[in-house]
Amino acid sequence: MKSSRMLGLIMIAPAAIMILLFFLMPVVLTGVFSMTNMTTATGISGGAYQIAPHSLNDLKSTMPDIAEQMSQPRYTIDETGLKAVEGLGLDAGIATELRAKHMGEVFKTRREAERMIKGLDQGPSTTQVKQISEQFNRSVVNSRFSSRQELFTALDTLGFKLTDAQKDSIAEATYTGWNWTTENFSRIVSSPDMARVLFNTLLYVALVLVLFNTTYAMLLAIWTHYMPAAPATIFRSIWLLPRITPVVIYVLMWKWLAWDTGFISVLMGKFGYPPKNYLLDNAYNAWLFVILINGFIGASMGMLVFSSALKAIPKSQFFASEVDGASRWQQIRYIILPQMRWPILFVTCYQTLSLLASFNEILLSTRGGPGKATEVWSLAAYHTALNNYAGNLEYGLGAAMALVLVVIGIVLSLFYLRIFNYGTLVSRPLIED
Amino acid sequence: MRVLLDNFSKSFGTTKVIENMTLEVGHGEMLALLGPSGCGKSTTLFAICGIHRPTGGRILFGDRDVTDLPSQARNIGVVFQSYALYPHMTVAENIGFPLKVKGMPGEDIRKEVDRISGLVHIGNLLGRRPAELSGGQQQRVALARALVRKPDVLLLDEPLANLDAKLRLEMRSEIRRIQRETGITAILVTHDQVEAMSMCDRIAIMKEGEIVQIATPAEMYNDPRTAFVAGFLGNPPITFLRGVMANGAFAIPDSEIRVPLPVSIAASEGTKLMLGVRPEHFTPAGDIAVSGKVTFAETQGRENLYDVSLDGGPLLRSIQPVRHDVNIGDAVTWAIDSKGVLVFADDGRRL
Ligand SMILES: Nc1ncnc2c1ncn2[C@@H]1O[C@H](COP(=O)(O)OP(=O)(O)OP(=O)(O)O)[C@@H](O)[C@H]1O
Ligand SMILES: [Mg+2]
Repeated sequence: MKSSRMLGLIMIAPAAIMILLFFLMPVVLTGVFSMTNMTTATGISGGAYQIAPHSLNDLKSTMPDIAEQMSQPRYTIDETGLKAVEGLGLDAGIATELRAKHMGEVFKTRREAERMIKGLDQGPSTTQVKQISEQFNRSVVNSRFSSRQELFTALDTLGFKLTDAQKDSIAEATYTGWNWTTENFSRIVSSPDMARVLFNTLLYVALVLVLFNTTYAMLLAIWTHYMPAAPATIFRSIWLLPRITPVVIYVLMWKWLAWDTGFISVLMGKFGYPPKNYLLDNAYNAWLFVILINGFIGASMGMLVFSSALKAIPKSQFFASEVDGASRWQQIRYIILPQMRWPILFVTCYQTLSLLASFNEILLSTRGGPGKATEVWSLAAYHTALNNYAGNLEYGLGAAMALVLVVIGIVLSLFYLRIFNYGTLVSRPLIED
Repeated sequence: MRVLLDNFSKSFGTTKVIENMTLEVGHGEMLALLGPSGCGKSTTLFAICGIHRPTGGRILFGDRDVTDLPSQARNIGVVFQSYALYPHMTVAENIGFPLKVKGMPGEDIRKEVDRISGLVHIGNLLGRRPAELSGGQQQRVALARALVRKPDVLLLDEPLANLDAKLRLEMRSEIRRIQRETGITAILVTHDQVEAMSMCDRIAIMKEGEIVQIATPAEMYNDPRTAFVAGFLGNPPITFLRGVMANGAFAIPDSEIRVPLPVSIAASEGTKLMLGVRPEHFTPAGDIAVSGKVTFAETQGRENLYDVSLDGGPLLRSIQPVRHDVNIGDAVTWAIDSKGVLVFADDGRRL
């Protein structure tokens, strides 16, 4: 008993490692990313503190006074400024006097600073006053600090007396890197765009799955089952073509069919209709093509699975049911379909997950258009996180969308297992311990 | 209902399995199709139930020509060798299936299923699935399913092949009882001669797609038309001695053995002959003594079985009441009962 457990563990170990590396790790990473606001702008490593105009704008709402002060220039008499003044080639006494009397003083406005300079014993001229005051301008706007520590040391020397809470808000507003946040999810939940994409996704998965991946696949399997062997093989091979053709070429063929110089346009031209792009003409057409393109690919897998499951039903059961008086339809209804529960479950589960995750056919054909009519969740995630026209890729939001997809997939799988009564489908192991 | 195969032929591609077979099964009769593996028994049965289309000839149920009717329209019950129960249905659903596809209301189906399952003694198993039944129970379910629609003809393809010896014995009489009770015309396919002899009114022996002889079990046992038939019936089987005609007697060259033959057997001097001796006709009580050495001894409880190698080399088999004084290697002198022997020409024809 113990040894068979052990053997079992050893046998699943390679698969377990694979699952850990190639499934769990990405999911965990996606989870981590989804809790951040990473974008192209923040980068994925840490950021700096920059008192940019937009961060001051942000601060205005919470602490208008401080924001206003920070946006103003400040004048501090410091060693750097004095050195610069010495370098101006003015009367050397000016710098000496400033260092002796005013070292370390901070002036809130230019006017205050200049009044002080004017009042110096050396009595610089008005143009000189302007020149000198400029050397002590210590405005923080647009200056960049690599750490929080540096930011507040600088602000402190500029005479900002800040409470801890104020410091926190300033640090947050000026930070250019990414932050931990749950905002992605609240955006997903509240955005009407997302609701639309979700609806598209459900429509897409449901239609392709129900019409093609299961129903039509089952029809194909049953048709070919009752056909003589040779035509059945040919028929099955034809339906395999969409699957084995490289997807780029396959979608290109559909485009040839639907483009304004394509087959349909030429054909309709014969009846006097002007040529147009039937693929992107309107949302209904786009949907029709999206579903056909994906359906033709998806039907073959169900067909193969169902066909082999059909072959596994002993011939004698078909003989017996015929002798029992069952018509072909009754044979399908009472003998074939009830024994197809497991393959149907498998195909439904598998195809739901792959439809949820796959967007390449849509990307290659409609790109989610016209407008966003055929934008599905995975494509939207791709557009958000990896490829869009605006150029600001929102990794965090994209990851959150992907995570939502994973959760939807898991929930649906559990739901399928439940309605197909998984427990009764799996027989108990032959070897008991 | 009478079943008639009229000049029936069946070939698969270029393989001719049955050629011009004519066979009639009377109303209420139970007939065995008996023959070695591959002789075409199942093929014949499948043609009768409409799974295979004949390549030639006609099939009649009563006076109705069913040759071109699909299985569904023939009203037959079939018990397949593998039973072919539907694994996803309960016993009750399996049995009721032929009625359900006919559109019978559920209440009536239940009544019929109860009735028929009582007949085959499986009333307590109706809720189970086939996988939860023993072989014998599955066999009864298959039988019940075949009978439930009150078929005109019942076809059984080696229905007992998968059962253990005791169950087989039980089911033999059970099937026969049900067949008698329902008065149904039945055809039993088997390669077990005991089954054929004990269950059926008549036996049709087949060899390579042809029917060699049709007769009642007793007739066939006592009066086989060929050596093949004689060899097929009887357990333990008959043994054959090869010899020639000499002075109105069967003689084995280079040996003392002479078996006088009835005058009715007209064969010229020196013709090669085969003498069939059934084990019960080679005992201490016969009239033509032969000597040999016991090469094999086996007790079957009530009887003992011996193989005796004669001086000339040929083998005779003997069955006798249990005795303990003869062992392997002993020399014995027992006797052939000359009235019981069967004489065949060299090609197997009965003389
Ligand atoms: N579908 C087929 N195609 C070609 N030959 C076949 C086919 N079915 C049966 N045969 C051949 O026909 C012959 C008779 O087959 P059949 O199944 O009737 O034998 P059987 O008498 O039932 O033997 P068994 O006792 O082993 O079941 C065999 O030689 C077999 O190879
Ligand atoms: Mg057979």
